[in-house]
Amino acid sequence: MNVTQDLSILHLILEASAVVQAVMVLLAVVSLMSWYYIFMKWFAVRQARAKTEGFERDFWSGGDLNTLFQGATAARHNSGSMERIFAAGFREFTKLRGQKNLDAKDVIDGSRRAMRATFQREMDTLEAHLAFLASVGSVSPYVGLFGTVWGIMHAFRGLANVGQATLATVAPGIAEALVATAIGLFAAIPAVLAYNRFSHDIDRLATRYESFMEEFSNILQRQMR
Amino acid sequence: MVEEKRPEPGKKSALLLTVLVHGALIAALFLGVQWKRSQTEALEVELWSPPVAVTPPPPPVVKPKPEPPKVEPEAPKKPDIVVKEEPKPKKPEPVEKKPPPPPPISFKEQLAREERQAQARLDAQIEAEQRATASQRALANDQISYAGKIRGKIRGNIVLPPGIAGNPEAMFAVTQLPTGEVLAVSLKRSSGNAALDAAIERAILKSSPLPKPDNPAVFYRELEIKYWPFEE
Repeated sequence: MNVTQDLSILHLILEASAVVQAVMVLLAVVSLMSWYYIFMKWFAVRQARAKTEGFERDFWSGGDLNTLFQGATAARHNSGSMERIFAAGFREFTKLRGQKNLDAKDVIDGSRRAMRATFQREMDTLEAHLAFLASVGSVSPYVGLFGTVWGIMHAFRGLANVGQATLATVAPGIAEALVATAIGLFAAIPAVLAYNRFSHDIDRLATRYESFMEEFSNILQRQMR
Repeated sequence: MVEEKRPEPGKKSALLLTVLVHGALIAALFLGVQWKRSQTEALEVELWSPPVAVTPPPPPVVKPKPEPPKVEPEAPKKPDIVVKEEPKPKKPEPVEKKPPPPPPISFKEQLAREERQAQARLDAQIEAEQRATASQRALANDQISYAGKIRGKIRGNIVLPPGIAGNPEAMFAVTQLPTGEVLAVSLKRSSGNAALDAAIERAILKSSPLPKPDNPAVFYRELEIKYWPFEE
C-alpha cells in the first residue's frame, strides 16, 4: 500500500472526502461573511461614536436649540443617531406646544415617546448582523468538529482494510480531517472577539443616548415655563 | 415617520479588507504548513548486496564532463603570456630580431600538439569510462531487480510475529545452488528481535528454490540478504 507523502495544505484539502470538503467550503464562506460584517460593523461603530461625540460637543456648547434642529434636519442623510433622536424629540415638542389645550406633562411625554421610538430604530440599525457574528462564533467550531469526526471515521474505516497499521497510514487521514477543525476555529475566534467588542461598544452608545434623552427632556421641561 | 435607508459606511473597504485578511491567512497556511516526508524514497534502494562490491554508477558519468572545460581555459592563457614576452626583447635590441621569433612558434606548436594529444587521451579515457559505467549500470539494475524478486518471494512466505517495534533490519548469509535451492541460511546481523529473526529464516528456507535472475551474470552462490519486516 502506498500512502501519499505530500502533506501540503492544498493536498490535504483536495484529498479529503466529500463531506469534509463540503464542511470546509461552508466554513470558508461563513468566515468570509463574518469578516465582511466585522469590518462593516467596525466602520459603523467608529462612525457612530465620532458623530455622537461631535453632536454632544455642539449641543452642550450652549447653542440655540432651533438652529441645532435646523442643522439636524438639513443634514438628515448624514446625521448621527443622537442627532436624529434630538431632531425627533424637538419636532414633536414644537408640534405639541402649538396646541393650547395640552398639559406641560403631556407635551414632555409625547416628545419623550418620539425620542424613544427613534432610539429603538437606531439601536436596531446598529445591532444588525451582530447576531450573525454570535452564531458564527458559537456554531462554527462544532461544524468544524463534525467535519473532523467524519474525516477520522473515514480514515479508520480505510485502515481496517490494511493488515499492518502504522502511524504513516493513519496520519494523512487525520491531518486531513483536522484541517476542518482548524478552519472552523479560524472562523469562530475573530467572530467571538468581534461580537464581544461590538456589543460592548453598542451598549455604551445606548447608555449615552438614553442619558441624553433624559437630559434633553429636562431641558424641554424648563422651556415649557 | 418613515426613515429612509442610509447607505452603510465602508462597504467596499470592508470587502477589500475581508479579501486581504483571507489572502493573508491562506498565504500563511501555505507557507507555514509544508509537511513533507523525504526519507521514504531511500528505504528501498539497497535491500541486499552481493559479495562483489560494485561501485555506484552515477558519479563517474558526471565527473568527466566538467573536466574538458578545465583544460581549455588553460590553453588560451599560455599563448597570451608568450605574446606578452615577445615585445619586450624587440624594443631594447632591434638587431637581434631573428632569434626570438622561432622559439615562440615552436613552443606554440609543441603546446598545441601536446594539447591535442592530451585531449585525445582524455577523450579515449572518457569513452572507456562511459562504456564501463553503462555496463556497470545495467549490471546494477539487474542486481536490483534480482534482489526485488528474492525479497518478494520471501515476503510472500513470511509470517510476522506480533509486537515488532519499528522496522528493524536483519542480515542473513544464504548459500544457494545454481538451481536456486537454498543450502544454508545463517544469521549475520540480528534485528534485535529473536522471534523476527527466526521468522525471516523460516521464510527464506520456505522460499527455496529462490527465483533466478534475468541476467545470469548477477547470480551468486553466496548471497547477503538484508531484510526489513515492513515495506514502506
